[in-house]
Amino acid sequence: MDSLEYIDAYFGGEFPREEAGRFEERIQEDPAFAEEVAHYLGTRTALKELYDEGRKARFRELYRQRPRPAEVRRMNPRGWLPSAAAAALLALIVLSWLLFGRPAEPSRLADRYIRQNLIVLPMKMGGADSMLKGISLYNTGRFAGALQQFENLLRLDPLHPAALLNAGIVSLRMENYDRALDFFIKLENHTDSHVNPALFYEALTLMRRNHAGDSDHAKQLLRRIVQQDLNKKGDAQDLLSKM
Amino acid sequence: MFGSSSSKEADRQIIGLLRQKGLDKRKGEEGLFNEYAYFIRDGMRKHRLSEEESFDAYSDSVLVAIENISNGTFLGNSSLKSYLYKIFHNKCVDYFRKNATNKRSMNRTLSINDELFLFSDKSRSILQTLIEKADWKLLRNRLEQIGDDCRKMLLFWADSYSDKEIAVVMEYKTADVVKTSRLRCLAKLRQLYNTV
Repeated sequence: MDSLEYIDAYFGGEFPREEAGRFEERIQEDPAFAEEVAHYLGTRTALKELYDEGRKARFRELYRQRPRPAEVRRMNPRGWLPSAAAAALLALIVLSWLLFGRPAEPSRLADRYIRQNLIVLPMKMGGADSMLKGISLYNTGRFAGALQQFENLLRLDPLHPAALLNAGIVSLRMENYDRALDFFIKLENHTDSHVNPALFYEALTLMRRNHAGDSDHAKQLLRRIVQQDLNKKGDAQDLLSKM
Repeated sequence: MFGSSSSKEADRQIIGLLRQKGLDKRKGEEGLFNEYAYFIRDGMRKHRLSEEESFDAYSDSVLVAIENISNGTFLGNSSLKSYLYKIFHNKCVDYFRKNATNKRSMNRTLSINDELFLFSDKSRSILQTLIEKADWKLLRNRLEQIGDDCRKMLLFWADSYSDKEIAVVMEYKTADVVKTSRLRCLAKLRQLYNTV
């Protein structure tokens, strides 16, 4: 058993008690062995810190997407009751209208869809190294690095469907909507829309960008997905029903 | 995510997910973070921290809670909210003290590995000195060079996944295959670290 295997077995709890005593003696008597043990433990701690940094990056992204609470202003204590009653009534009317009367704003609808469905990209083992690396970077919130990996793939194969799709999604998350649309339109033009979801993501990007006319264009695309039974028909129906 | 259920039910769901591995655990981590993210405002208001400091204190608290829930140290004697708030409160106090004494400008070293406490004072001191002498920043840079599978596997190992759990999450055939690959990745990382 070499040193690394021996050290790993010790920390994996595979040693009998008497052998554990011998392990500690070696740390004190054999400097090279002590260094191996220190490196093993240090590596684990350094990698754990790295892993936690990835999680914190994801938390930061989640926090960034939360709605900001409004500043609280102190009210004048005199005459607050009629004002409060009027405010409550108004709030009730507005809330009812928001909940039941008014269609959701496309940008917020798209944002909600993104938070529910695009925080994590599925990792398929056996793919190209750049693809896996890109997805891994995306999933830990390192968008610029992820985009670079997908673009590396596109330099080799400009019509690589998964690279186009992921480059579009990461651009969408980076709020670079024009670039995201370029990727999705390219994907749409070169692949079968029954199989790829380009048209749906194109609509989603337009909803999120929400420039003049974007919402109507997005609705047209979503209707086309439903009518022609294209990929992501269910999601398109869901979004249309809320717009 | 869990906002619509009762707090007990939400706790139960989050704890259940955190005791899984892979994507389920990830959902639990994000669920826990989102559920009590309003603590960040509390940290700013009650402990006079900046938003960034309060966010850091809260994220660190969530990571501690995740660790304790995953490894079974959290026994469920209190609600998840009370438990997390207690950790968060202590972190905020730490941050406030660091601000007061300006210790934040000090160089950060690698945190102390819990496994060092398995040893006697003498052995621990030898190992701690060696750990402090090593260049962990270089090791982290070298990690970028060992390939994505190796990197992922070692990060799971660092997060206390067993070889069996890594085999499931990374779709390897057996835990033995993972062990062999993991040790090979560790050796490769060490070799890269030693390369000038």
